[in-house]
Amino acid sequence: MKVEDVKVCILIIEGTNCEEETSQAFRRSGACPEIVHLKQLLGQDTSPEETRKLGDYEILVIPGGFSSGDYVRAGAILAARVKSRMEDELVQFIEEGKPVLGICNGFQILVELGVLPGIESPMSRYPTASLGWNDSGRFECRPTLLENWSKGKCIFTSKLERSQIIQAPTAHAEGKFMLPKHREKELLDTLKDNDQIVFRYVDTEGQIAGYPWNPNGSLFGIAGICNSEGNVFGMMPHPERTYLGIQQADWTRNVPDNGDGKAVFESVLDYVTKKF
Amino acid sequence: MEEFSSEIRFVSLLDASDADLMRVSDESGLALDIAEMKRVQEYYRREGRDPTDVELQSIGQAWSEHCCYKSSKVFLKEYLTSIDTPSVILRGDAGVVDFDEDHAYALRIESHNHPSAVEPYGGAATGIGGIIRDVLCMGAQPVALIDPLHFGPLDFPHDKLPKGVRHPRYLFEGVVAGIRDYGNRIGIPTVSGSVYFHEGYLGNCIINVGCVGIAKKKNILKNAVKTDSDVFILVGGRTGRDGIHGVTYASVELTEDMEEEWMGGAVQLGDPITKEPLIHTCLEAAERGFLSGMKDLGGGGLSCVVGEMALAGSFGAEVNLEKVPLKEEGLHPWEVWISESQERMMLAVPPEKVDEVLHLFKLYDVLATPIGHVIRDKIVRVLYEGKKILELDLDFYTAGPEYCREYLYDAQSLGKPEAIPEEPEDYNQTILKLISSPNIASKAWVIHQYDHEVRGATVVKPLQGKMGYACHGDAAVIKPLEHTFRGLAIATATNPTFSEIDPFRGGMSAVDEACRNIVAVGGFPDSLTNCLNFGNPEKPDRLGLFRETVRGIGHVAAHLGLPLPSGNVSFYNETEHSHVPPTPVVLGVGKVPDVRRCVTSDLKEQDNPIFLIGETKNEMGGSEYLRVFGGHSGTVPNVNVGTLEKSLHAVFRAVNEGTVASCHDISHGGIAIAISEMALGGNVGAFVDLSKTGAIPTSVKMFSESNTRWLVEVWRGKEDRFLDIVLDVPVRKLGMVKGSSVIIADSNVKAGVFLEDLSEAWKRTIYDFMGGTP
Repeated sequence: MKVEDVKVCILIIEGTNCEEETSQAFRRSGACPEIVHLKQLLGQDTSPEETRKLGDYEILVIPGGFSSGDYVRAGAILAARVKSRMEDELVQFIEEGKPVLGICNGFQILVELGVLPGIESPMSRYPTASLGWNDSGRFECRPTLLENWSKGKCIFTSKLERSQIIQAPTAHAEGKFMLPKHREKELLDTLKDNDQIVFRYVDTEGQIAGYPWNPNGSLFGIAGICNSEGNVFGMMPHPERTYLGIQQADWTRNVPDNGDGKAVFESVLDYVTKKF
Repeated sequence: MEEFSSEIRFVSLLDASDADLMRVSDESGLALDIAEMKRVQEYYRREGRDPTDVELQSIGQAWSEHCCYKSSKVFLKEYLTSIDTPSVILRGDAGVVDFDEDHAYALRIESHNHPSAVEPYGGAATGIGGIIRDVLCMGAQPVALIDPLHFGPLDFPHDKLPKGVRHPRYLFEGVVAGIRDYGNRIGIPTVSGSVYFHEGYLGNCIINVGCVGIAKKKNILKNAVKTDSDVFILVGGRTGRDGIHGVTYASVELTEDMEEEWMGGAVQLGDPITKEPLIHTCLEAAERGFLSGMKDLGGGGLSCVVGEMALAGSFGAEVNLEKVPLKEEGLHPWEVWISESQERMMLAVPPEKVDEVLHLFKLYDVLATPIGHVIRDKIVRVLYEGKKILELDLDFYTAGPEYCREYLYDAQSLGKPEAIPEEPEDYNQTILKLISSPNIASKAWVIHQYDHEVRGATVVKPLQGKMGYACHGDAAVIKPLEHTFRGLAIATATNPTFSEIDPFRGGMSAVDEACRNIVAVGGFPDSLTNCLNFGNPEKPDRLGLFRETVRGIGHVAAHLGLPLPSGNVSFYNETEHSHVPPTPVVLGVGKVPDVRRCVTSDLKEQDNPIFLIGETKNEMGGSEYLRVFGGHSGTVPNVNVGTLEKSLHAVFRAVNEGTVASCHDISHGGIAIAISEMALGGNVGAFVDLSKTGAIPTSVKMFSESNTRWLVEVWRGKEDRFLDIVLDVPVRKLGMVKGSSVIIADSNVKAGVFLEDLSEAWKRTIYDFMGGTP
């Protein structure tokens, strides 16, 4: 299909707050994003013209923010609402090979939903990983550098070279990727074997490093992972905040033509236009 | 005509003596003085009846210092609000100024000092909530938050803390957390601000919050009703007992007892997750043309918003108070009427649009309730379950008193004998000590806690430089619209130590600094807003300081043709122990023609030449150098408005014509600190020679905070072009980008500090007090 026909569902509820810039990123890449409130998918309080079906979209994106205030645990409330009301539709969407992207709070939601890491099935009954409090105990907004660790499975990084380093800022309090302690090694090995580890935090030399380059203390420096099929992807840093060269932290020193984050959006659109 | 409700309480006023009147004012928490109470009595004598308790409370709100600026208006009119330019589109809860053909920007800054001193987390959070609503109600999307904060010294000994005063560390931690948790959650970036420590803020921290927004001109709304059939729809949060008497509380001095007494009620509770969809939904309603007008519920709650919106449209209003959705049962009608519960906006909606508005708000799960309507008579009438509980003539009610209170300013009274310390023996140690002083040291501890990039439009960020080395910049730049590279440069400035010695020059300096910050990144100053934080205006010497400050701000702003389409005054920032130094906070907004030409403060390339624009003078009064090393000077940096104007144009052009690699304004700590910060951000050294910068001592050359100065790194090969552009302003080549240490030379002096040592001294201070790793 043509890129201008690719419909992107940017899902929001109260507290989502990165929908405009995420939408803008897809629009700049030529696609057709639409900001959709969860109630429009559920048909609650909506007129027929306002009601939407998930299946009508090619890509689902859960943008950053503080959905429902993150008051229980980051992402927990939106995940529970989605799971209780539209689990089947979401599973079908994933099984059809349609891409799902979660950025920051969206990543937290995908983990809460059990669609990430998504090792054995599109959606696990219970979460098998979590994004815990940053080691610093504080919200951290800072530029971070990410190494593309994907060997090719993740459809969101196909436009990046293996080991290419990109810039994308983080802005979160709960972003420390963790696996259950008693299965940590086993699950981490599985993620590696399955080519599910997509981005890792590195320093300016490209080396895995501690705080502040790894802003939250994530296991193995993990900043983003995909499911075992490569079509569901979550990352804590914000690629939409480095779509343009002038959004990058140090652009006045060395202005790039494009921002590093653009590749994430171009990659997924390339996949969709070829597949559908 | 409806009868008064039999359940309402009337207050006997008609025959009251002066003592009775003051007892009523005190017992009801009205904070009105005897003259004001007498005016109320006269009104009711003419009406031939006693007031109801709801009416008295309403008048107390409307006539509070906070709501009607009764002590400051006379000076504001004379010096600030009289500056007018065609670019100002509207003056309302926020000022609205022309941006491009189809767009305008909105700006406002205000204080949340009193609530933050008592409950720092909630006080600061609701401060953000309030300033966002001020911008939102003009029909503008908030795009940036700005937070200048002022506290007592972080190392103040606990055992010397006056009773009832909270420790500066506790306040600092709480205020930053409040701004973080509210600002980050609603998704508006906090891009600029300042943190300043001074003994004078021990009893009263000064917490100012600013907001800038962007609007389509066609969506700009007045804070007014439009037709005689408009319906009032209250949207957002429910109404509760929180925030009762917030404005009257802010209109008296804080005392120990009062704090205990009012703590339960006077500070509101913030709820960013009600606010976040409220912003979207209000803007969508404006975009779809559903609204006649909009205004936020801030100080005084419903009692202020209804009357003000009605009167601004030359009508009156009738409200059915029982329709207001409540947080809890059992509120008295007067409490509902004056509660300052957060996250509420009032919409004026034409009757044919009401259903569409209600549907839209329901879809986004935001509460929306029609609670009244416009009437033709210029009165405000409140009914509770069909019975009248308030009826007031709007002209009387909203025409708060205005005073020309007695003021006293004696320049000599502030002059202490000059006491300048000896030249330092070791300039290296002096520089390191100065750069680690809390007022200069890294504010990264604060900045990293705020999301300064949400919305993806922050092109020039608060920390600037090489990855891993970024240092403080002068201004942030927002690119608010997709279709254009035009930007908004945003900067704040204040220097309370200047102002406490010489308030006139302090006021002038604040404008100078805000403007030079803006041109340093490549913007041109376009408008200002200010928050003026002072002590008790009923004391003539405090009011004298206020007047001098306003005169200083006005003098420079008028010369530069910079309008102040909004502003805020916060008085009564004093306790029995102390009063704050005069704290005029100026927020400047500049237009950037093309954000791709912006520059930052970090040094870029070895061998690039470094120039000084401006003249260093022996003006050490209020300098950080004297604060840190002791001593006093009455000579605060002056402003020559002619030189300032020429210099602003010169630096703006030099940056926009691509001759400048980096630029930093010279402020706290003088040239020595400015060049050090530039070097830190670029992680590269510099050599500067100050021997030709005047016949003044080395310490003055290094640390003077004279206004209207910048350090400019010019691209090699573009020196000639640069010098052509800055032809008619004072300019001197000082040195070049070089090596890995900062070397500052004078005739017989050479200071040299390694970057690692500078970095260590600069970045640790605040973390050492507050915890965490730089």
